Amino acid sequence: MADTSRRPDPAPTFHGEPRGVGAALAGLLVETRSVMPAAGATGLSLVLVIAAMCFLASLALGAALSVERVASDWTSDLAGALTVQIKPSPETPPEEQIDAVMAVLDGTPGVLSATALSRADTEALLEPWLGAGNVTEDLPLPRLVDIRIDAAAPPDLAALAGSIAAAAPGATLDTHRQWRTELRRAARAAIFLAYGILAAVAATTIAIVTFATRAGLSANRDVVEVLHLIGARDRFIAAEVQRHFLHLGFRGGLIGLALSVATFLALNLTGGGDGLFMVPISGLQPEHYPVLAAVPFAAAAVAVATARITVMRSLERML
Amino acid sequence: MIRFENVGMRYGMGPEVLRDVSFHLAPASFHFLTGPSGAGKTSLLKLMFLATRPSRGLITMFGKDIATLPRAELPPLRRRIGVVFQEFRLLDHLTTYENVALPLKIQGRGEDSYRADVEELLAWVGLGDRMSARPPTLSGGEKQRAAIARAVVAQPDLLLADEPTGNVDPEMGQRLLRLFVELNRLGTSVLIATHDRALVETAGAPELVLHKGGLTIRG
Repeated sequence: MADTSRRPDPAPTFHGEPRGVGAALAGLLVETRSVMPAAGATGLSLVLVIAAMCFLASLALGAALSVERVASDWTSDLAGALTVQIKPSPETPPEEQIDAVMAVLDGTPGVLSATALSRADTEALLEPWLGAGNVTEDLPLPRLVDIRIDAAAPPDLAALAGSIAAAAPGATLDTHRQWRTELRRAARAAIFLAYGILAAVAATTIAIVTFATRAGLSANRDVVEVLHLIGARDRFIAAEVQRHFLHLGFRGGLIGLALSVATFLALNLTGGGDGLFMVPISGLQPEHYPVLAAVPFAAAAVAVATARITVMRSLERML
Repeated sequence: MIRFENVGMRYGMGPEVLRDVSFHLAPASFHFLTGPSGAGKTSLLKLMFLATRPSRGLITMFGKDIATLPRAELPPLRRRIGVVFQEFRLLDHLTTYENVALPLKIQGRGEDSYRADVEELLAWVGLGDRMSARPPTLSGGEKQRAAIARAVVAQPDLLLADEPTGNVDPEMGQRLLRLFVELNRLGTSVLIATHDRALVETAGAPELVLHKGGLTIRG
């Protein structure tokens, strides 16, 4: 404190060491002075490229998360539901078949409720295909019983299927297993695709940062040589360069993240994402946003690591 | 401390610019390096500040054989050598203060530990009011003094200067010579390449004379 009065016009200095978490975070955003010249002209365009990459990465990650969530919602929904389908039989009238099935279901532990659909309900289900009033009285229609089971303590489905088939000829238990398997397969494919995009975006970012680092080094070859001649080690130079890329990566990451969050929120509001992957992208839940918030940090980490490795490799070829 | 034995040097496949150069610089010695333009002064200095390796011969610096020294061991040696480059080679994006403080920063020292010393040195070479200026805005003489300040700031064991008084008036030249002599008294070996006869005669130090790539010692 005492020497500030002695020095009326303090010379600009190198960056001080950051102190504390707040200062460290601020240091991520505010670029301090470096011994290596900032790549000036390439700075903004590089931020924009990294922002675009992070936007794509966040979209892919968000899509993966919401597909995962929606698929698990659906499968658990379906897992709690069964259907008994009763084909019309020449011997037994449908009402008797239903009564027999209902009797079996009532006596089965783990069945929460069983609702028989009336013939009118069944006709309503067919209406989209056959049109209203086109179902004649004598058209034999299968009847359906909708069953909700306790997912925590499900009944023995194989035994139940056996006793239902025995109770009423033509009655079969549909566990939706096939539909569920296909849904899961589709969801897995979508998630795999999303992570594939994420990997491609990361690889592209690495290539771009490598290129930019090399360009910056060769533009500042003279500075690097002077630093070497006055005794700088490679890791000192690498540290100066990678700090620059830390800021570029983090800033680009923040911009990309902001754009992607805005996109997800807009999709949520308009509900316009329903068609994407056949799954509502708006399945993104509040708890997913912290995962997306990791994207700028990941971008900064990738940029820093890439820049460091590139600098160390390039400098090894100099004396 | 520094020993050259039959050193030869050529750039690429070109002719030898230095031929069979042998000499020895003792610790705390003071020498001038003279000779006509193109005689190889800068090439000899380049070998000494480890910017290049000899084509043949043996160079020992601080007890290490330069030809076989691994790359990773060069920085500690270079930190013991202060260099005033002929074309100054200040970093244009840093201020004068930062340029001069750079060798200390590179050594990993905190700014608090050297700030006062750097400011004092800058005041001594007459750049006290130009600390925040960047090299492109400095005059030739100011750049030269900044380059000298950077070379001496870490109190090196060896100071190499290529035409250090070429851009200053005779009065400033004498002042800078006194700085070199003072540094030499504190134990630094000094080698100054120069055309300035007045400087050589004032100091009265021995001369290494280069002529067409060969070296003789006078005085």
